[in-house]
Amino acid sequence: MGESSQSAGYTLVICEKPDAARRISEALAGGTLPGSLVEGVVVYRFRHGQQDFVVCSAQGHVYAVSDPFRERAVYPIFDAEWYQSNLVEKGSASAAKRIAAVKKLSGGAGRLVNACDFDVEGETIGFNVLRYACDGREREAIRAKFSTLTSEELVESFRSAKAPSDQGLARAGRARHLVDFMWGVNLSRALSQSALASEGRYRTVSIGRVQGPTLKFVAQRESEIQEFVPTPFWKAHAVFERGQTRFVAAYAKERIGTRAAAEKVKRNCEGRDGIVADVRRSVSWVPPSPPFSIGDLQREAYRAFGFSPSRTLQIAERLYLGSLASYPRTGSQKLPPSINFRGILRGLQGLAGYSREAGELLRGELRPVEGAKADPAHPAIHPTGEHPRRSLDSSEAKVYDMVVRRFLSAFAPAAKIERAAVTIAVEGNEFVLEGASTVYPGWQAYYGRYRSWRDVEVPPVKEGERLRTAEVRIEEKFNQRPIRYNQSSLLEKMEREGIGTKATRAGIISTLLARGYISGESLAVTGLGESIVEIMEMFAPSIVTTGLTQKIEERLEAVEGGQEDGRALLRETVRSITEQMIALSADEDRIGRRIGEASSAGVAAGTTVLGPCPVCKTGKLRIVRSKKTGKRFVGCTNYPEACRASAPLPQRGAIKAAPKPCQRCSWPVVYVLGGRHPWRLCVNPDCPSKVKKRDEVQAV
Amino acid sequence: MKCRLCSRDAAGDLCPYHMRAKENVEAAYEAWVRAYGGMDWKTYLDRVITNGETGQRAKEVAELLVGRLNDKNNP
Repeated sequence: MGESSQSAGYTLVICEKPDAARRISEALAGGTLPGSLVEGVVVYRFRHGQQDFVVCSAQGHVYAVSDPFRERAVYPIFDAEWYQSNLVEKGSASAAKRIAAVKKLSGGAGRLVNACDFDVEGETIGFNVLRYACDGREREAIRAKFSTLTSEELVESFRSAKAPSDQGLARAGRARHLVDFMWGVNLSRALSQSALASEGRYRTVSIGRVQGPTLKFVAQRESEIQEFVPTPFWKAHAVFERGQTRFVAAYAKERIGTRAAAEKVKRNCEGRDGIVADVRRSVSWVPPSPPFSIGDLQREAYRAFGFSPSRTLQIAERLYLGSLASYPRTGSQKLPPSINFRGILRGLQGLAGYSREAGELLRGELRPVEGAKADPAHPAIHPTGEHPRRSLDSSEAKVYDMVVRRFLSAFAPAAKIERAAVTIAVEGNEFVLEGASTVYPGWQAYYGRYRSWRDVEVPPVKEGERLRTAEVRIEEKFNQRPIRYNQSSLLEKMEREGIGTKATRAGIISTLLARGYISGESLAVTGLGESIVEIMEMFAPSIVTTGLTQKIEERLEAVEGGQEDGRALLRETVRSITEQMIALSADEDRIGRRIGEASSAGVAAGTTVLGPCPVCKTGKLRIVRSKKTGKRFVGCTNYPEACRASAPLPQRGAIKAAPKPCQRCSWPVVYVLGGRHPWRLCVNPDCPSKVKKRDEVQAV
Repeated sequence: MKCRLCSRDAAGDLCPYHMRAKENVEAAYEAWVRAYGGMDWKTYLDRVITNGETGQRAKEVAELLVGRLNDKNNP
């Protein structure tokens, strides 16, 4: 510790979470030690390096941005401030006692150490605690920086901690919270109040500067799917025989544009022998994938285990707090030698399951493959080599194994792959057979079951060899509609578009799901989500485009780097929000009606029409809402001139059209979603099946 | 004015979504004719309606167009 460590009083260490406080205390004290209670919060007292230490912790953000009114009808809001989170957020009750404990302890502290996670959120948490609970001592607190909670790294980080933080990250973090609060609270209150004015009842309708464009990605994709019209093409394959072996080769032209051309290929090739015209074999060395950034880990865990990005992040955080893995909120794909490769591998060597692989790597030179992405604060996610002190649950064990294997494979040699491409000519038509096989597995042996590579063998044919054409198949195909995003691909899209941060992206997707704007494993926009995008595009278009949020991210980076102090950004935010508020308030009525229709109809996007009307035969039955009663029902598009067909609908749960109409009466069938199991319902109140049941009940 | 196929506001008889779907239905016809070496408009629409890859709004538009065609043939 630096010069300030000579002043009187103990050293008060502020950590981000209770688990981190315990780990840091154990590392500095050199073993487990009991905690004592201050204001009902566990703190740790010990001596280290001839100094007295007291270690206490926040519980994530114990201060939160809010407005002085906290009235949902009051907007626009521009005088946002930081408050104790227990005063402004539900579920933050413990913040009060944690703040009280820090206040009590800071009075006797001669030195302060900020040991929160070293990133934007950690810096913001530490800054706020030091400013508000320690009488504005944020400038004097020394910064301890570490990427793992191993004893070795923690002791070293405290030994070398000499200077206070430059506070760039904290400035950027605080500015981000203020900007996001102002955008979110103003737009959300405007939308919610519009819905209240129109429907007479309150419903929370929220949107934010990152939620907006993310929702639009899903909505845009949904539109492409709903409006998609396929076009036909054909594929041809030939089955060749070589002795007892049969193999299938694809027509060299991947898509045949017309049926006539496809039939011609079949006609010309059937019954004619093929000649091997060309055999190309090549060998390539495929390097391992780079170590995990948080985005990489979230995608891979989704692919291999189906874990949502937010679940993976939570698990990775637990592994970090258990000192099994490094800090997970990192964008880095690099492993610097300072993390002590050999030390980690020796640790892994002592763990069942990695002993052989770690031992093999320790015998050679250790130079990991790295990716292009760097993060100045933390290296790529890697195991610490420490052994688990408790048994891991199955999800933790899976993510841990994946992190370890990715780390091991980064040091392993490239895999040797032999590729082969065989061209077979039949009467001037070319068929191609491609394959690849692993000659030397290299890193694949270390990455184990997570490798996505599969070998495809090619028979050992020679140029000029004659092969019997056993069969020629042509298949009619249609180009496929775009596929929906899943949580992993949406996260990737957000990353590519530069919206949100590595710490917040997964949470944004969870919020959109929780609000009912998107749903399903393959993410589909709901009717409500689609309406929110439409309303925003009409009245506040910048909130659903990537431009605004990308610009804000750039400005926040400038704040972090000290080129900007954040006040100009806040001034501009106020100006932009004012413009949007004026546009929204001018059309409050229309916006409210639109939200009301979409949210209470509870229909998935693109399913308002249920099917053809079996009464008039020309109209469509669709879901509509009564202006008088507000209730939803089924009505014909030809109402009232040509058809008066209508039917009641359940008022709760989302409605989804079934693909086929009722076999008894030809009226549409719907699924009513919302409970544990969706239920199937023919919408015709006079369907013969229902009439029979009704008659039976009446008879009883 | 409301869309013929959903409750959205529309400038003509279709909302912007169904209008885009209609443009897609009309634009793809030429490719289908070329691919099969000829196909009448009604057969095309029927096949678009039953194709599993066709989007819901495009199906709704194709059904509407078939309905109009039937009305025209059986006034």
